[in-house]
Amino acid sequence: MIESNFALPLAVLLPLVGGLIAALSARYKRSAPVWCAMLATLAVLVLLIPAMPKVFAGETLIQSWVWIPNIGLDFAFRLDGLSLLFTLMILVIGLLVILYTRVYLSENDSPGRFFGCFLLFMSSMLGVVLSENLLLLVVFWEMTSLSSFLLISFWQYREDARQGARMALAITAMGGLALLGGVLLTGEMVGSYNLTEVLAAGDVIRAHPWYVPTLILILLGVFTKSAQFPFHFWLPHAMAAPTPVSAYLHSATMVKAGIFLLARLFPAFSGSHEWLWIVSTIGMLTLLLGAFTALFKHDLKGLLAYSTISHLGLITLLFGLGTQLAAVAAIFHIINHATFKASLFMVVGIIDHESGTRDMRKLNGLLKHMPHVAVLAIIAAAAMAGVPLLNGFLSKEMFFDQAIVASRGSAWALAIPVLATLGAIFSVAYSLRFVHDVFFNGEPVNLPRTPHEPPTSMRIPVDFLVIICLVVGILPALTVGPILAVAVEATLQGSPPPYSLAIWHGFNVPLLMSALALLGGFLVYCVRRHLFAWHEKFLEKIDARFVYNSAIESLQRLATALTRWFDRGSLQHMLGWTLGVAALLGFAGFYSAKAPLFGNRELMKYDPVALIAFGGLILASISTVVLHRKRMISLIMLGVVGLLVSLGFAKLSAPDLALTQLSVEIVTVVLLMLTLFFLPQYSPPPSSSWRIGRDAVWAIGLGCGAAILTLAVLTRDLLPISDYFLKNSVPGGGGKNVVNVILVDFRGYDTLGEIVVLALAGLGIYAMLRDVRLNVSMTDLEGRPWSREFQSPILQNVSQLLFPLIFLIAAFIFLRGHNLPGGGFIAGLIASLAIVLQYLGNGVEWTDARLRIDMHHLIAGGLFFAIGTGLVAMALGYPFLTSAFTYLNWPIVGKFEIASAMMFDLGVFLVVIGSTVMILVQLGKLNLLQAVPSKRPGGDN
Amino acid sequence: MTHWIILPVLMPLVGGLLQLLTQRCGLPAQRVLGLVLTGGLVALSIWVLVMGQSGVTQVYNLGNWPAPFGIVLVLDRLAAMMLLLTSVLAMATLSYASIMRVDGQGPHFHVLFQLQLFGLNGAFLTGDVFNLFVFFEVLLLASYGLVLHGSGAARTRAGLHYVVINLIGSTLFLFAVGALYGAVGTLNIADMAVKVAEAPAERSGLITAAGLLLLMVFGLKAAMFPLYLWLPRAYANTSAPVAALFAIMTKVGLYAIVRVHGTVFAQGAGELAGLHIPWVLGGGLVTLLMAALGVLAARGLREQVAYLALASVATLLVAIGLNRPDSLAAGLYYLIHSTLLTAAFFLLADLIAQNRGTASDQFATPALLPTGKGFGIAFFFAVVALTGIPPLSGFVGKIMILDAAMAHPWRWIVLPGVLVSSFLILIAMARSTSFLFFRPQQAENQTEDVQADDLPHKSAMWCVATLLVAAPLLVVLAGDMMAFTTETVTQLQAVPAYIEAVLRNPLTGGGK
Amino acid sequence: MEILVAISVGVMTSCGVFLVLRSSTFTVVVGLTLLSYAVNVFLLSMGRLKVGAPAIIDPAAEQYADPLPQALVLTAIVIAFGMTAFVIVLALKARGELGNDHVDGRDFTRNKEEGS
Repeated sequence: MIESNFALPLAVLLPLVGGLIAALSARYKRSAPVWCAMLATLAVLVLLIPAMPKVFAGETLIQSWVWIPNIGLDFAFRLDGLSLLFTLMILVIGLLVILYTRVYLSENDSPGRFFGCFLLFMSSMLGVVLSENLLLLVVFWEMTSLSSFLLISFWQYREDARQGARMALAITAMGGLALLGGVLLTGEMVGSYNLTEVLAAGDVIRAHPWYVPTLILILLGVFTKSAQFPFHFWLPHAMAAPTPVSAYLHSATMVKAGIFLLARLFPAFSGSHEWLWIVSTIGMLTLLLGAFTALFKHDLKGLLAYSTISHLGLITLLFGLGTQLAAVAAIFHIINHATFKASLFMVVGIIDHESGTRDMRKLNGLLKHMPHVAVLAIIAAAAMAGVPLLNGFLSKEMFFDQAIVASRGSAWALAIPVLATLGAIFSVAYSLRFVHDVFFNGEPVNLPRTPHEPPTSMRIPVDFLVIICLVVGILPALTVGPILAVAVEATLQGSPPPYSLAIWHGFNVPLLMSALALLGGFLVYCVRRHLFAWHEKFLEKIDARFVYNSAIESLQRLATALTRWFDRGSLQHMLGWTLGVAALLGFAGFYSAKAPLFGNRELMKYDPVALIAFGGLILASISTVVLHRKRMISLIMLGVVGLLVSLGFAKLSAPDLALTQLSVEIVTVVLLMLTLFFLPQYSPPPSSSWRIGRDAVWAIGLGCGAAILTLAVLTRDLLPISDYFLKNSVPGGGGKNVVNVILVDFRGYDTLGEIVVLALAGLGIYAMLRDVRLNVSMTDLEGRPWSREFQSPILQNVSQLLFPLIFLIAAFIFLRGHNLPGGGFIAGLIASLAIVLQYLGNGVEWTDARLRIDMHHLIAGGLFFAIGTGLVAMALGYPFLTSAFTYLNWPIVGKFEIASAMMFDLGVFLVVIGSTVMILVQLGKLNLLQAVPSKRPGGDN
Repeated sequence: MTHWIILPVLMPLVGGLLQLLTQRCGLPAQRVLGLVLTGGLVALSIWVLVMGQSGVTQVYNLGNWPAPFGIVLVLDRLAAMMLLLTSVLAMATLSYASIMRVDGQGPHFHVLFQLQLFGLNGAFLTGDVFNLFVFFEVLLLASYGLVLHGSGAARTRAGLHYVVINLIGSTLFLFAVGALYGAVGTLNIADMAVKVAEAPAERSGLITAAGLLLLMVFGLKAAMFPLYLWLPRAYANTSAPVAALFAIMTKVGLYAIVRVHGTVFAQGAGELAGLHIPWVLGGGLVTLLMAALGVLAARGLREQVAYLALASVATLLVAIGLNRPDSLAAGLYYLIHSTLLTAAFFLLADLIAQNRGTASDQFATPALLPTGKGFGIAFFFAVVALTGIPPLSGFVGKIMILDAAMAHPWRWIVLPGVLVSSFLILIAMARSTSFLFFRPQQAENQTEDVQADDLPHKSAMWCVATLLVAAPLLVVLAGDMMAFTTETVTQLQAVPAYIEAVLRNPLTGGGK
Repeated sequence: MEILVAISVGVMTSCGVFLVLRSSTFTVVVGLTLLSYAVNVFLLSMGRLKVGAPAIIDPAAEQYADPLPQALVLTAIVIAFGMTAFVIVLALKARGELGNDHVDGRDFTRNKEEGS
């Protein structure tokens, strides 16, 4: 099948490529894009010819490539009567519009952009009608919305164009999303997204519990796209687009996409009460509303827009009636409407172009200025009104006929033909107004330009379309007969019902209705002045746009309010939420599982020292809070807490932790004191009492949570993996201090990460402090200036004396680390304390002068040792960080065990020194730098 | 013993070390070095991905100690995918930073950058919960440095919040890990899965609480409602390349959820199985709506992009929360898309902001049009991709997730949730597009034409473009991508095989 | 004993949380430090409490404390130290650039009505 015809995807891709070329070619030659567009369109038409015979023979061409098998999204295309009909409409009218646009665009419009978007739209539209896979159809569907957004907003500098474009996008895209939902549900119901399966599964779908929601979602897509009530209002505002766009999108193609889908899914979804009621009601409402409003529009395009709405309503109504003949009428009317409406839009374009206005209160008696156009317009308008011998008449007859059929259903279904006639009356009226106001009705009123006949290439398309109107109107069977037949067949997925395309069916009710419509329309038009006045008085104000705008605005307001409330950029706010969630989840965890909170492991008896340690711990923490407004004191209390913690560690048989905690404690406190120098000595005024209360609740809640969690674990036995460490520490790791062996060997990788963190902290702080500018009061709280002298002689001597001593201790701690409490980290901290002491004692210059090491290099060196140890192991074919150890006899020390892990520990040692000293000294230097009172205000950089 | 597993971790670590040593050689040298290193990392990751295609879970016993006692690195398809994604992203952002000379705004940019990659890769590869904590700290501290890189009051404030909130997160992480250890006495993920499965029922409360706490920690990283408050300002106020690189940071949290909870609380865990799922799904949906509203409420383009990033994370949370093979596969596809495209958009937003001069990226100021070449197309492209409009990758990913949701009992909540939020985002982006790019008056009087076409911007646009290309590529290759992600998910959900691989991995020379 | 430890963990957590929720950076840092103490004690206790049984291999010893949590705590202490140092310096930077030491850079006068 694929080789016998051309590949259908080409039909979609060619315009796309053409669009790209068109967009690019513009900068070389202004007329190039037009030719690109024409060529692309013609090419598709030509490519289509070989496929036509098959389609007219009633075949359905399906070409499919696998795309995303997981979700059944195939790159699948389908060419049958219905899609052929639409394809031809899209291409032929497209071609005419391109020809027409060639002269329409003014000098400062960019043809590249126009035709780029135009062809993008054409290709997505072709995609919609040619898709075999529903998901693929949705893809193209949304692309039509997107490209129409670009086309409507073509004149970006016009506010109405931008608004209209946004509105059209919002409405149609919303419909598109709904459609997507409907399609997904359909796919789930049928088990496939391919139309072949879907169309065959009508009974399954209608019987399925999801039928109604699915139907509603899909209809949302249809109604928004085809401007059905209550979504019709975007169409008139889309008229801000250049007229060729309106002629193409808003009469012939895009607005028909919804109708197309209605026809496409007719076999799968029609035939239920929901379908009948929803679709036909909406259709009827739209038909009447459109026809009625059109009469009162003074802007020609406005009139056409509303008349389009009403005709779309008519078609929808026909599909809603659900009978086969109604479907025939619907499709027939699709063709006719496309022809006469497109030509009318082009006429309006011409008038606008040549006279400079579209206001019917100014435009009068153009007949003598542009007779040829006048004739065309009159014929087209007559077709729109449904005057005999024109195509509009035929489909309207069919419509009336179906209206009568439907009226036999129930008593008040009689309303249908009545309302149908009413609608027809108005459409006659506005058609009459279009003709009479513009071309007769006295002299033009101060037009911007004196109108004259348009250039030929603007007129030819109109000629062509109007001729079609005539020919179809007179010889329907010969002209549209075949295409209509196959289209209907494809729509119904079965042999079409008997119907005749004759002009004359004898005297019958439909004919009577037509006559009534013509007469009534004439009468209505005669009394128009009063109607206008009445309309001015009561209905002018009513415009769905205001509803839409206020809806969007309130949505905007809601979004803003909610976002500003929740995302208010307050740390306390986010902390509150975060901690709240922690509490909630912890609670939920314990609550959801119906398990006891605590276990029944017998508890340890109290140990006096631990009792004191932890008792003191509790008191100290509380006092830290109570005194938190006196910062220095609270800092000291914090130090006390730290010391007690290390005491607790020592008691709970964790000597390494005790040592580490102790040394870290000292350094931390020194650090905080240094910074406190730059921060206000006192906390801000206390926060409001209810806030304190709330925070207290938060705090106590989380505290209880933590305590419960602890106890929940401690009251249960441990199922540990630790015996392994105890067993393998000496034989495998060569160290008696299991904790240290874990750190440097079993879990050395953690330690590697840990020292990287430390290094990063150092570097990050270095980076931060480089450009920090602070203005600090150079006096303490009582206003006494800080002491100027930086080092007291005693401290100086002591520190210099202590230096080697402390270093010796550090070395000792480091060396014993593998077997007894100690190790690289603690040693590192102690050593850095020694160095910091020098800075404190002897001042920065003195120390810097003697201590000629850039801490960066110390850090780098440390990392180098740590990584190096690991890499050596790799070089020997073992995994990263595999350790080895041996014993060697040192002269004095005697038998001494040396493990490769110690190299690693050395790395730790160096990084610790590097980072710690870097941090403290940077702060110290900042301190020094600030000693010269700076004139700069605080936050000016 | 296959050493190549650890190379993705070692390379940036050594790289960071080198950058630290070459400080003196000046920025140009560091740039070259950084680009070479990152390029090497990309190549390495590709190679690792190819090696990982065997479908066998590769395990590396650090220090040659058997699991669960020693720390193991585990490499499967998912990990390999994340490694490659990270390195590609890093390459693009680093080149941008070098071109726009962002790295010169403060010291140590390149060191921090490499160590950031070290932290990320370590987190992706580790098979041990506490080690995951350590690497979270590494990548966080590096990210602190990067967030604060450069200066400015807003940046410092956002940075401070980011740091403090994450410190709280780290504390909670320790509580959670500690509780888990106390409950089941192990730290290795695979071993934990075993122990949890056979844990006595009376401990289920404890384990659930610990598991949910851990979920919350990961949720904080992944920016799940209501824990995402740190994200918008931090991302909107930091320098563009950093924000772009951070497109992967939230994904680390998601990855951790999939890896840890997906393994420990898999089907084998009996009544504890999937204890995180409802929270993830619910949280994801709420996040999605809040993010959509945020996009609508954004005052500037950067803020808007930050909320878009949040929305994509939320979509991923939904995909994970649906917890079906197909939803996860779709999620991984979406993850790749959102990471690359979000990054691209952050960079683009920065270029536009610079180009608009004083107007910067604010919507409030009188419209100044960016005049740089290709801004309009690039912007439109990014919007279409990230908003999830056809025909770009965002849409494909979204429909695949929704298609998976159709078979899920929550479909009547997920479907409207996702559709409505996409609608809101669409409206918002349509407005920004017309605001930023539609000329308000026909006369094009560009008051400020800030170095529109000078060289750095031109070449910076190429970084953006290369990232943007991902969108159409992902669409064209969607079939193959899905085949890959589906295999990945199959391997991911074969937990017994994972456990077997980790706990039974032979040691070099039979160990010690 | 366990109860006492649990309570002290709880108290330290409460105090930490309360201080973290204050509005000035220094207090927040103090709170974070308290929290890190709390979690360290918590982590250690996860290996269950033992008195006088350090995990140092010794033929005489008949029981050992669980060494693994101790190793974890050591790592945690170091990391916490790095973090504390970083955040306190960041607080300095914030004071320099925002002009005050409020966590949101607000003036205390406006703090009341604006704070959450």
